[in-house]
Amino acid sequence: MRLHLLASTIALLLSVTASAQWLHYPTPGIPRTRDGKPNLAAPAPRTSSGKPDLSGIWELEHPPCHAGGCADYVGAPEFLNLGVKLKDGLPYQPWAAELVKQRSADLGRDDPVARCLPSGAVRILTFPPPRKIIQTPGEVVILSERDVTFRQIFTDGRPLPLDPSPSWNGFSTGKWDGNTLVVETNGLRDGAWLDRNGSPMTDAARMTERFRRVSYGRLEIELTVDDPKAYTKPWTVTLNQLIVLNTELLDYYCNDNEKDVQHAVGK
Amino acid sequence: MRIKLIAIVIQIAAIMAGTASAQWLNYPAPGIPRTKDGKPNLAAPAPRTADGKPDLSGVWSGPGPGSYDRNIARDLSPRDIQPWAEAIYQQRVRDMGKDAPRANCLPDPFAYYHMVDVARIVQNPGVIVMLYQGTTNSVHRTIFTDGRPLPKDPNPSWMGYSVGHWEGDTLVVDTSGFNDRSWLDIEGHPHTEALRITERFRRRDFGHMDLEMTVDDPKTFTRPFSFRMDQTLTPDTDLLESVCEHDTSVPHMLGGTAIKLAPEVLSKYTGTYQYAPGRDAVITFEGDLLFLQEGANPLKLPLAPNSETEFVARAIGEHVEFLRDSQGAITGFIYHGERGDRRAVRKK
Repeated sequence: MRLHLLASTIALLLSVTASAQWLHYPTPGIPRTRDGKPNLAAPAPRTSSGKPDLSGIWELEHPPCHAGGCADYVGAPEFLNLGVKLKDGLPYQPWAAELVKQRSADLGRDDPVARCLPSGAVRILTFPPPRKIIQTPGEVVILSERDVTFRQIFTDGRPLPLDPSPSWNGFSTGKWDGNTLVVETNGLRDGAWLDRNGSPMTDAARMTERFRRVSYGRLEIELTVDDPKAYTKPWTVTLNQLIVLNTELLDYYCNDNEKDVQHAVGK
Repeated sequence: MRIKLIAIVIQIAAIMAGTASAQWLNYPAPGIPRTKDGKPNLAAPAPRTADGKPDLSGVWSGPGPGSYDRNIARDLSPRDIQPWAEAIYQQRVRDMGKDAPRANCLPDPFAYYHMVDVARIVQNPGVIVMLYQGTTNSVHRTIFTDGRPLPKDPNPSWMGYSVGHWEGDTLVVDTSGFNDRSWLDIEGHPHTEALRITERFRRRDFGHMDLEMTVDDPKTFTRPFSFRMDQTLTPDTDLLESVCEHDTSVPHMLGGTAIKLAPEVLSKYTGTYQYAPGRDAVITFEGDLLFLQEGANPLKLPLAPNSETEFVARAIGEHVEFLRDSQGAITGFIYHGERGDRRAVRKK
């Protein structure tokens, strides 16, 4: 029997928590309107040093759900195609365009995340499960619900390393430009997929992300990828995030009871 | 047997491979007090946060392999372990840990990460995050310090649910909500969902932190027990990324031996042996396993039988071959170790 991998991946995402008990604990410090509802349009909170505080649990902004309500995890279109909102899509080099076609034809069988490998530095921001940002004076940490893993962004003034170990998340440093945290990343390894379509990223890639919390409830992230091996020019997409209140990340390990890979036969 | 041993070696190699050739990060972190020659001054006072609490932030290393990582119950006597738990432990030793969560790319208990791994503590008001480099995958754990209680009926999870409070300069962390699938140590002591762990972190000075852990699981152990695994600051470096490739390592794991030897056979091996004058080795037996204890090291190495005279030390893949004389009496053993063979003679 052939399973459509995309469907099975999404089913996998949902099945992990379908019967889980969602944590419910009131988020402290929520600004509220007069009628007591969270005021998501209130100004972004600030740290004691006066910088905007990006801390919070976030999910990628997605279109409104059907009348029946949202699933536990809602995939935004950028999860499937990172360049969905660009007029001409992502500017693939010819070989990369061919590869994306091939990967789609294979139903995404070889997607690293289908084999429980890391989502990588980009998809940690687009995966349907939420992410949590913890901001301290010298470091911003992005905690991922998927695989209970994390990405670190150093804001203590250190430079990017000259020759880092290539890794899925790369090495990230950030500095404040007014109210925007500008994050530079190098040290990325070959092999991560940027979306379910299979847009590639190579070890030549450099990433720049601009994090701007425009209100209590909204975090705008502008991502620029400069990967001349895979793309004809640098490109920029927005991965805006909405706050998720009164809950916590769950403990989600892809390899827990993993039974899917053997069914992912492609076409 | 050789194939099984090779499988273990591959498993260990797979675990080590993540970092063996990695380039360690070296960056002189700001805010570290230094001596005149520029070296980190680990004896300087512990830093404090704006609210006056000790700041535990930093990259910390545990005491290293050979502490409680192999056997968390090493200080307990057999009567302190519930019979079902001892039976599972022995079965896992015989199986060479084939079904260990770590062998299947699932996480180790966080206690393990504080013993042999590197952890970055990120302290913020209201929340402390522990980032673990990890043996299988890099994972994180959150400790809420905003005054919330432990949930009454949390989702059972690998890391549990942790809340912390300050008692003077000591951070006391209580954790419950564990699943019953993680192993407390490499050799395979189990636990149940009733497990509660209490940790007491006290940063003595800039470079040293006391850490005492108390394990309380009355369904597995007849009493709570505590042990120390003090932490040392690892300055000027950072965590590397750890990723476990499940489908490339698991097919090589064949598991262990089905051989069980009768108590009357095992009892023939018990006694004191000698590598050299003053270097004794004691063999005891418990259930289906032999245990080897060398010199003053309190760690007892479990040995599972591969044949009537050959045993494997499952956690490290080394094996012990007993020698017999022409009448069949046990006269000594050869420990086939990674660094060569060691021969021991039975004491009269």
